[in-house]
Amino acid sequence: MSVAMKALERTQAATEAIVQRAQARFGAHRQEILRSTDRIFAWLLIGQWIFAIFIALTFSPYGWQGKVKVVHMHVWIALFLGAVIISLPVALAWRRPGELLTRHVIAAAQMLTSALLIHLSGGRIETHFHVFGSLAFLAFYRDWPVLITATVVVATEHLIRGILWPESVYGIPNPEWWRFLEHAFWVVFCISILIPSCRRGMKDMQVMAERGAELEALSENQWRKSSVMDRAATDAGAKG
Amino acid sequence: MGGFDSNSDPGVRKGYDRVVVPTPGGGTQSLTRKQFEGLPLRERVSYLIEGTAQFYLDGRPISAHEAMRT
Repeated sequence: MSVAMKALERTQAATEAIVQRAQARFGAHRQEILRSTDRIFAWLLIGQWIFAIFIALTFSPYGWQGKVKVVHMHVWIALFLGAVIISLPVALAWRRPGELLTRHVIAAAQMLTSALLIHLSGGRIETHFHVFGSLAFLAFYRDWPVLITATVVVATEHLIRGILWPESVYGIPNPEWWRFLEHAFWVVFCISILIPSCRRGMKDMQVMAERGAELEALSENQWRKSSVMDRAATDAGAKG
Repeated sequence: MGGFDSNSDPGVRKGYDRVVVPTPGGGTQSLTRKQFEGLPLRERVSYLIEGTAQFYLDGRPISAHEAMRT
């Protein structure tokens, strides 16, 4: 095999190794972000569940039926429905962090938690802010399809609950039929800013990994040059 | 490296603004920074390993090390 062929093969092997290391660095960085965000949401979902129970106890503490003291239905809703909503995403965040399914289930659960809080507060418009805060938190994943899942879930939930029990969503018994579209519009407005931001975040991570590869390539080039110089010096020494 | 290569904003980094790289036919090709960063990572890495890319800043030739400095 000629010297030129050997040199070409060495360059190809080094290039492949450097590119693979860059891909691995990017993948590891991405996984770290996904896993840590899953853990944040696991704690957030538990915290929200406790908060939902607190809201239920505060807003609708106890009803009295004659001389019998009973716990208001909302407390049970917060307790059991809340537990149902958060149990799967919390389990996935613990057992399968970083997986695609985990973050989409978390996105859906986060929106359903918003729905629960909105219901518990009697459809207060201020509680709808929870939806927008949740979308911002979901953007921590830097994975824009998660925001689409959240949008679909919250829009569908608003549509169905708006038909079946409008007071629970909007705080009024007879809202316009298109009210859910108005809410969905603001959600779409919000994610139309968050999606490019997520994409930019991913791109920045890629650029960082590529910069690392370029610096490795420079280092490889330097090593080769110094090896050639060492060999030349050794040869000169042997001849001398 | 499908879907892995990206362009960065040329206005942010100032290491170099032009690169001359060899072409398969034996000639050379002048690329802007954005064009160079748009090349597949494999191609960029092999230019850097071989030391065949000549970087320029404001028309002045600079070393690859200087070019890669942000």
